[in-house]
Amino acid sequence: MNVVEQLVRAPVAAVQFANILLTQDDAKVGVTPKDVVWTHRKTTLYRYRSDRRRHPVPVLLVFALINRPDIFDLRPGNSFVEFLLGEGFDVFLIDWGYPDEEDSDFGLEEYVCDELPWGIREALRESGQDELTLLGWCIGGALCLMYGGWSQDNPVRNMALLTTPVDTSGSLYSTWVARDSFDVEYVADGFKAIPGQAVDWANKLMKPVTNYWTTYRRLWDGVLAGEPRRDAYQAMARWVADNPPFPAAAYRDWITWMYKENRLVRGRVRLRRRRVDLGRIDQSLLIVTAGADHIAPPHGTKPLLDLVCSEDITCIDRPGGHIGLMAGSKSRSEIWPDIVQWLEPRSQSTREGIRSGNNRTQ
Amino acid sequence: MADERRSSPTEDVRRLYEEAESRSAQAFEEVVSRGSFGELLARMTENVVALTKISTDVFDLMLRNLRLAGRQDITRLARQLARTEDKLEMVLQEVERLADELGAEALAGGARGGRRSSANGRAGSAGSGSTGSASTGPGSTGPGSAGPGSAGSGRGARGAK
Repeated sequence: MNVVEQLVRAPVAAVQFANILLTQDDAKVGVTPKDVVWTHRKTTLYRYRSDRRRHPVPVLLVFALINRPDIFDLRPGNSFVEFLLGEGFDVFLIDWGYPDEEDSDFGLEEYVCDELPWGIREALRESGQDELTLLGWCIGGALCLMYGGWSQDNPVRNMALLTTPVDTSGSLYSTWVARDSFDVEYVADGFKAIPGQAVDWANKLMKPVTNYWTTYRRLWDGVLAGEPRRDAYQAMARWVADNPPFPAAAYRDWITWMYKENRLVRGRVRLRRRRVDLGRIDQSLLIVTAGADHIAPPHGTKPLLDLVCSEDITCIDRPGGHIGLMAGSKSRSEIWPDIVQWLEPRSQSTREGIRSGNNRTQ
Repeated sequence: MADERRSSPTEDVRRLYEEAESRSAQAFEEVVSRGSFGELLARMTENVVALTKISTDVFDLMLRNLRLAGRQDITRLARQLARTEDKLEMVLQEVERLADELGAEALAGGARGGRRSSANGRAGSAGSGSTGSASTGPGSTGPGSAGPGSAGSGRGARGAK
């Protein structure tokens, strides 16, 4: 397209560009039909409807405490949940909801020792199974790890961790919040629920030009070229802008334990007077890292390999970002099939062939 | 070379622009990864928290003087509701645990009865042994300790419910 063509097209493109931005809140995300199985305070356990369940061991999806778990089910045609259902899995999702000031006392302890085990319990009751697969993403993965290291006898057969921070030393976040001058107690006292927009702003600030400029420039280029990818952009933009508050106690715990004191990797997290010992984790483990992840970089996740006692560990390291790896346009062909391939043999009624020996692969 | 062609001025401008954008992105990322930026961010966060606190207190005071419910009052009520829900959840878990135990007992009783009736035709009291009492297992610890293993409680009894 030459300059004259671009100039002629610019007014129409500008209207279309504005329309995409202005109507992004109307984008439909998380539309796969699901039923509420259990609720407690702001937490809701969903089970996705399916008549194609083939694998007996259900999968419980656990997302972070920031942003919404809709990213698992972003939009029809690009939904991880839809993909899992299509492959015959029984899929549950634990949604932490929108905590508010009344939940300011909700710390990581409550999430790991109450909400998560209760959700697991209800998922198992609903599915009629004895074991399940925990699939955690980002903070959700860290919650799953803490649960695995805290509980002495749990019904988790497999654990899949997607871009999960374990060792935060040297990360950009720790440069910001691990310093003494960042007074997390003061922040947690001032905001009973840390506004989601503030957390989102901090996340975007890690790559300011990419997040505040390049995203829009690329959209503009697409619109100008007549290929706006409207649905993909709007769904992702809506998800990014949907930021539930972070309960003050959980925020304080997360910043202090993970960044200021880096306790998880040092084995110094204690929940309900019991140490979280990652050495207790003996489940089949899938670790997925993204090469360009600036929030949970691969070098911050890999130390987990030396901490757990699982004999069946698979590590997948791919190019991509923290979210883009699992929810990008290429995820459907590049990463989801690998996850399903890993899950399938481990989701049958017997464990034959999975734990028959050391099976660490990378 | 047949494939080689001269790039147009528009393409040159575009390439230069993209290079500049990528360089500035890198430069900004370097800036935000510095300790001094972290320091600035910490101070800024503190200021924002302090301002929010002051404005919230002022607004809350105004509402209270007008005899209207403020944010704190609503939060207090919501917290009471949350506590009630916590208790209800405990009761629900206890009820489910008892239902599971009863179901397991019923199943065990049924199995004992079945064995007795089949044994009666042959020899005697084969059912007098301890056939599977209602073992609650590690999962059925009380509602307060629904952590480890509680997820395993009594799935076998689902059919009896």
